Amino acid sequence: MAIDGELPAREVERAESHLATCWACRARKQEVEAAIAEFMRFQRSSFQDRIPSPDGPRALLKAQLHELMAPGSGPRLLRFFGPRLGWVALLASLLVAAVGPFIWHELAPKYPAESAVVTVPNPAFTPGATVLLSQPDVCSEPMAKNKTVPSALQQRVFEEYGIRTAEPDAYEVDYLITPALGGADDIRNLWTESNRVALWNAQVKDALEDRLRNMVCAGQLDLHVAQREIAGNWIEAYKKYFHTDRPLTDVR
Amino acid sequence: MIDSSPDSYPMVNSGSQESTCSAHSAIERELIQLFDGLRAPLLRYLYGFPLAPHDAEDVIQESFLSLFQHLHRGTRVASPRNWLFRAVHNSALKRRLRARRDMEGAASLGSAENSLVDSALNPEDQLAFNRTRERLRAVVRALPEQHRWCLYLRAEGLRYREIGEILNMSLGAVCNCLQRSLALVTRAAER
Repeated sequence: MAIDGELPAREVERAESHLATCWACRARKQEVEAAIAEFMRFQRSSFQDRIPSPDGPRALLKAQLHELMAPGSGPRLLRFFGPRLGWVALLASLLVAAVGPFIWHELAPKYPAESAVVTVPNPAFTPGATVLLSQPDVCSEPMAKNKTVPSALQQRVFEEYGIRTAEPDAYEVDYLITPALGGADDIRNLWTESNRVALWNAQVKDALEDRLRNMVCAGQLDLHVAQREIAGNWIEAYKKYFHTDRPLTDVR
Repeated sequence: MIDSSPDSYPMVNSGSQESTCSAHSAIERELIQLFDGLRAPLLRYLYGFPLAPHDAEDVIQESFLSLFQHLHRGTRVASPRNWLFRAVHNSALKRRLRARRDMEGAASLGSAENSLVDSALNPEDQLAFNRTRERLRAVVRALPEQHRWCLYLRAEGLRYREIGEILNMSLGAVCNCLQRSLALVTRAAER
C-alpha cells in the first residue's frame, strides 16, 4: 500500500523512515516498482494497438444522444390522441398485436414456403464479429473451421432471417468470419447460408477462407484486413484474391 | 485527462423548453468530453475482462447513454469516471452471463497480445521483452478474475477505495487482491 500511495500521511512517514535504513526493503520496493512498470508496458502493448478510432463510436453516441434529447421522443401515440384516449388506443393496438397473428394464420391462404436463395448475409443482422486474437494465435494451431453452432443459437439465426417453414436441408448456419480467422461465436457473425446456390456456394467460401488464412499466416495479409474483407462482401473478396470473376474449379 | 475529483452536475431544470435545451446541450458536451477521455481506458479494462471488441464498444455506448439518463433525471453523479467503470463492469458481467447461456459454455477469447516489435530495442532486448511478456501473460491469465479486474482497474489509475466500490469489495479485500497479484507479477518480471 505504501508503494501504491494508499497509506495515510502518518503511515507514509513511518514507511519512508524505515526504507531509509533498510536496504532489503528498499531493494524489494524497487523490484515491485519495476514489476509495475513491466505490467503497464505489457498492458499497453497488449491492448493499445487494438483500440479502433473513436470517430465512429463518437458519432454513434452523439446520434443516440440527439435521439434521446429530441422533443417528444416519448410514445407518439399517447401524444397524438391525448393522455386518456392515447391509453385506450395503445391497449387496443396491443390486443390486436397479440391476437392478430392467430387470426391471420387461420384465415390466410396457405402457400408453400419457398427456400429463398441467400448468397451474402444481411449486414443488419450479420455485420461480423471477432474475438481478440493475434496473428500468432490464429496461426499457431490448426483450428477447426466449422465449429458446431449450438442448436439454440441456430434457431435464433433462422428466426432472425425469417426462415421458419423452409425445408430443413435448404440452409445451414455458417460463420461469416470463420473461427480460423478469429471469427466469434456470436449471432452477429452467423447467417443462413443457402445450400441451393450453384455458383457462390459454401465450398467457394471455404476456399476463400483457406486462401486468406494462408496469406495471413505467411505474413502477406494483415489479420484484420482479412476479417474486414470477408465481412464486407465475401464474393467480392473471392474475386479480388483469386483474380477471377467466377469461382475457380481448382481452388489451390 | 479526466479529473478523479468529485464532479457534480447541475440538476436538470424542468422549466422552460429553452432552458431544458441548453441543459441538454451542456450535458451532451460534458458526455462527449468524458467519452473522448474515458473510452480508451474503458476499452482496455473490458479487453482485459475479457470481452470481445464489439461487445466492449456496445457496453460503453450503453453505459454512456445510461449516464445521460441519470443526469437528465437530475441524479447527482459524484464521480462520472467511477460511475462509468462500475456501469461497464456490471454490463460486462451480464453480457458474459448471456453469452454463456447462449453458447452452452464460454469459449476462450484467446490472448490479446501480438508479436509487437519495439523499434527502440535491439534484437536481444526485444527477445527479453517478448519472454517477459509471455510470462506476464501466463500469470495474468492464471489469476482469479477478481484479482485480474483489480489489477486492470489499478492500471487505469483508480484508487483502492474506488476499485472496492466498483467491484463491491472491501478495502482490505482489494488490498489483498492487489498484493497477491503484484507478488506474482513481480516474480514473473524478475525471471
